Amino acid sequence: MKKWIVPLLLIFCFCFYFPSTVYSQWNFFEHRYKYRLEDVLEASKFVEKKGYWEGYKNNKLAGYVFLSKNWTKKLVGYSGKHLETLIGMDTSGTITGVKIIFHSEPIVLIGLKEENYQNFIKQYKGKNILKDISVGNEISMDVITGATVTAVVQNAIILRSAKKVASQTGMIKFAKGKNLKISKKFEHIKWKELLNSKAVKNIVVNSRDLGLDKEGAYLDLYFGIATVPSIGRNVLGDKLYKETIDRLKEGESAIFVFSKGEGSFKGSGFARGGLFDRFNIEQEDRVYVFKDKDYRILTEIKAENAPRIREGGLFIIRGKDFNPTNSFKFNIMLSYRVGSKKEFKSFSLDYKIPARFLE
Amino acid sequence: MSDKKFNRRNFLKIAGASGVVAGTGVILPKGVLSAKTEPSGKGRAKNEVKPGELDDYYGFWSGGHSGEIRIVGVPSMREIKRIPVFNMDVASGWGVTNESKKLLKGKYFGDTHHVHGSYKDGVYDGKHLFVNDKLNNRVARIRTDYMEVDAILEIPNIQGAHGLFPQRYPKTEWLVLNSEFQTPVPNDTSNKKAFLNPKEYYGMHTIIDAERMSIVCQVMVDENCDLAATDYKGKYSMCTSYNIEKGVTISEMLASDYDYLIVFNWKRLKKALKAGKYKIVNGVKIVDGRKGHSDITLRIPVPKNPHGVNISPDGKYAVCCGKVSPTTTVVELDKLDLAFEGKIKPEECIVAQPYIGLGPLHTTFDGRGNAITSVFIDSTNVKWNIAKAIEAEKQGEQAKKSNPHIIDILDVHYQVGHIMATMAETKEADGKWLISLNKVSKDRFINAGPLKCENDQLIDITGEKLKLVHDSPTYLEPHDCIMVRREIIEPLVKDRYDMFEHPLAVTKNSVERKGKNVTIRMTANAPVFGLQEVRVKKDDKVTLIVTNHDEISDLTNGIAISNYDINFVTAPFQTKSVTFTADKPGVFWVYCTNFCHALHLEMRMRFIVEV
Repeated sequence: MKKWIVPLLLIFCFCFYFPSTVYSQWNFFEHRYKYRLEDVLEASKFVEKKGYWEGYKNNKLAGYVFLSKNWTKKLVGYSGKHLETLIGMDTSGTITGVKIIFHSEPIVLIGLKEENYQNFIKQYKGKNILKDISVGNEISMDVITGATVTAVVQNAIILRSAKKVASQTGMIKFAKGKNLKISKKFEHIKWKELLNSKAVKNIVVNSRDLGLDKEGAYLDLYFGIATVPSIGRNVLGDKLYKETIDRLKEGESAIFVFSKGEGSFKGSGFARGGLFDRFNIEQEDRVYVFKDKDYRILTEIKAENAPRIREGGLFIIRGKDFNPTNSFKFNIMLSYRVGSKKEFKSFSLDYKIPARFLE
Repeated sequence: MSDKKFNRRNFLKIAGASGVVAGTGVILPKGVLSAKTEPSGKGRAKNEVKPGELDDYYGFWSGGHSGEIRIVGVPSMREIKRIPVFNMDVASGWGVTNESKKLLKGKYFGDTHHVHGSYKDGVYDGKHLFVNDKLNNRVARIRTDYMEVDAILEIPNIQGAHGLFPQRYPKTEWLVLNSEFQTPVPNDTSNKKAFLNPKEYYGMHTIIDAERMSIVCQVMVDENCDLAATDYKGKYSMCTSYNIEKGVTISEMLASDYDYLIVFNWKRLKKALKAGKYKIVNGVKIVDGRKGHSDITLRIPVPKNPHGVNISPDGKYAVCCGKVSPTTTVVELDKLDLAFEGKIKPEECIVAQPYIGLGPLHTTFDGRGNAITSVFIDSTNVKWNIAKAIEAEKQGEQAKKSNPHIIDILDVHYQVGHIMATMAETKEADGKWLISLNKVSKDRFINAGPLKCENDQLIDITGEKLKLVHDSPTYLEPHDCIMVRREIIEPLVKDRYDMFEHPLAVTKNSVERKGKNVTIRMTANAPVFGLQEVRVKKDDKVTLIVTNHDEISDLTNGIAISNYDINFVTAPFQTKSVTFTADKPGVFWVYCTNFCHALHLEMRMRFIVEV
């Protein structure tokens, strides 16, 4: 058992360049760090398992250490590359340490230092992944304000990797969903009934909840699954519904999100980064994020008597492991300003397709 | 030249149809406000498109002698994009890159008049746009998924390639293109004796295979072929002709007091082609369509020097505008077969010739039985009911006098040319918005010097009255437009290129030398070019191929070579190339011209030309 793991690649801590190189300079942004398993879990012995290590202290299982790339390699940051993270977790699901070992996020561009990033990561120590942890609430954005894409992806990488390991080691168990199918029947349903039946869920974030000195809703958000005929066809209209369904590949699902109020669920992060950094979908130990490729703008709700909206979008869930008939969560992290200070707060909305649309 | 025996009054039951405009004003019929076909009340459509909202229609505007096409969101009238077609566009690199030069073949001027979409069963299928070049006699096809030109066809044997229209039914297999200027055929030294003999000048109705972008044939006629239309049954195409006289001066062109709407019978044309009844000139099959020589063409006499011809969305009527006559001529298309068979006279296809105003040019439709005609001299848009015009014609002169067909007349600012309503050239004309493409803006905008813009006015046509809602300035010089419902086009438009559609797509950066030819293959991925430095020798012939590797939509890179007069852009996953001679020694910075990243300014590399 190797105690020291020396990365094969050279360590790029800061800029260097070949004066006459003819190759790309992407490596300018690359940061790679040495690490030891002990860095994230206090243990005297490590035993390698499939995708993780068991850490023992006084011959007693103290917890687990794992590399994010074995669990969540597809989650990529602003750079388009995975943020390789070493994570330690005790047997009760509490994070014992986190260390970033490779990233090429150009956070220097927004005036941040590498140190800020490391400080952001440190906040996870002591948090229990069996409870809700979200950026803006349990995890402060203060030290990394502005790098929202990086922060959101980093958060997803840590939590999702940890939950997968927790599931693998038997620490958490997910109830097996019944083998239900989405009903192909179509019912003509008006907007109010869609809300009442919980086919469309609504969350209202009041300005007061955010500490803003204003009345009314900062964000009034509606969300639901588009791939159920009685929901999607009513909300999107026949034509767009058909187009959406026709474009989906086997196993893919789609959701719609609409909002009113001055707040924005889309933000503008997706413009340059391609990633929607304010919301994601969570199901069991899986998190689904959305890129501009998965998105189509919506400007109105077609359902009868629906309100006018300010923002809307249709988003495709690309992960084939997503099961639309099981419950899932819509997580949103709002970014807003109190005076000139940028604040973040996260909210979560549970969703389950109502039984009447299943068979 | 003109047919002296022809007596216009035998079929034109209208007194005011002569070339000299009668000085009568328009008498509006009583009870016009309660016309049955009309929704009551004033126009009520909303033209405000708030920030973040999207337009309901894709507007495709021709760019006139700018040689381009413009995409305008309707009803906001926001210009969203320009598609360079027959011009050089130094912003995008059209006319700069090898890919575009291959299509343009050294010609960087054009005059686009009519943009039309490809059809399926009388409605746009959204796949292609077609546009004419009156200047250099070409037709371009635009693929709407990338909104860029994918084919340009040069048309021999013609000049003044003007009226263009695609086949509407069952789908667009053919395009027709009219040549407004008669010329010798062929127009070269082998036919030099015709140069000074206008009687040996001919007009052409060119048939183009829209899929292959090749010429099927040309139907040669004595007359000039101006504006074009096709019917909704795939049976006919047509052209207006204002120079049946074969005149070469204005007075000669105005000599005859009638001209023609010429109808081309496709079934008979196909038969003639099959039977080999054509001669080949400059590689093109030329079918004789001249009067007395051909059963393919039918000449319907119309008041002298007509202009536009437009087909009503129900497919029943062709409306031909008078220009120097204050009338339009309504032709019932179901009668054309009888006229072709000789069972009725061509003029018997005419079912109405209503008074419209001074200088009617083009007609569009609201899909509710009404036509709206642009009137140049009066500077108005005139809304009129087709059925009422036909009814009045039946009743005779007395009934016509009160102009019962006219519903509303709107002043426009100023001097309207083309006119077009939303979806009006399809069977799904929806009567929502009308564009009056006015040639003169005069005092409608802040004064920007003696050369002024055009004024495209947006008019709400949902109500009985025409309601002007917006003035939209346009730079030189759109002629015509179409407006297509968003949902027809939107699903087809892509956000990024299919990288390997381009055979030279770069995946690996390299510099390769073969003798004096140097090929630079480079990726662009904001904020870095795949190469940091390239060295060549003076007088090397350099080909630079660049592929944008950014997958994020809208992340376009520019590639400019300092002092080498080269710039072009690549959109996500797009590849473009340029070839030039490195004739200036020194260090030249290649930099990104299209803002791409916080480090956009640092996105540059050295191109070193060594001696």
